[in-house]
Amino acid sequence: MDTIFWILSAITVIGAVLAISLRNLIHCVLSLILFFLGIAGHYFLLRADFLGAVQILIYIGAVAVLMLFAIMLTRHVTGDEGPREVLGGKWWAGMGTAIIIAGLLWAIVRKDALAQALPTGVAATSVAEIGKVLVTDWVVPFEAMAVLLTAALIGAVVIALEEIIRKR
Amino acid sequence: MSIPLGHYLMLSAFLFAIGLCGALSRKNAIIVLIGIEIMFNAGILNLVAFWHYKYFTTLTAQMFAIFAISIAAAESAVGLALVIAIYRFYRSVDVDEITSLKG
Repeated sequence: MDTIFWILSAITVIGAVLAISLRNLIHCVLSLILFFLGIAGHYFLLRADFLGAVQILIYIGAVAVLMLFAIMLTRHVTGDEGPREVLGGKWWAGMGTAIIIAGLLWAIVRKDALAQALPTGVAATSVAEIGKVLVTDWVVPFEAMAVLLTAALIGAVVIALEEIIRKR
Repeated sequence: MSIPLGHYLMLSAFLFAIGLCGALSRKNAIIVLIGIEIMFNAGILNLVAFWHYKYFTTLTAQMFAIFAISIAAAESAVGLALVIAIYRFYRSVDVDEITSLKG
């Protein structure tokens, strides 16, 4: 099981690094799919089976495909033009990231409890259980999410179709 | 399996830093969105890891993760629609060139 964790972590980190560093946008999105698959594998390893399935369906099935369509509609497949610089010439981005990761790692390492917390053999949650909680305890956020998703999707269509609406 | 919780938190911190670096340093708006998605996923991985190590006794963490994934999906749909609208207006998706609101 330990080996699976390290393999999945390597896939995830490599996918993330490639997704933000490659120059061809299509390759970026393909690496992002690799990253999403690694995260889904982590969810399966953590016994959150439903979340793993949701990750694959929503992120790979919807978000990644949406990004591919956006790239095709904007025709800039090559990504950043011009000579390649480390971090796009933005040293402050690299420095801010370094400060944040140093702070986070310091906060994690100094807590001994986190390094000693071992898994307790949690049982996988059934989909029926999640569904039941979703329509009892979490029904208000669930309905709010439905409204938010509807509003966001209508808004996305309105923004993307702006010119056609104006012409009428 | 004997991976301590700290390992998951460190993996998550690394992924968050990678996403932040991409969102801040790249010029293409779509890559900025990709960086934001990577940061979202790093945060959700944290929640699920804490749930697995029984820091939450109920399904709260998984519910939060599901809602966060839904919000991320809505965010990327609106973000990509904005990218398409901006491309139509400026003929470019370079975030450094879009400076109409700069004082």
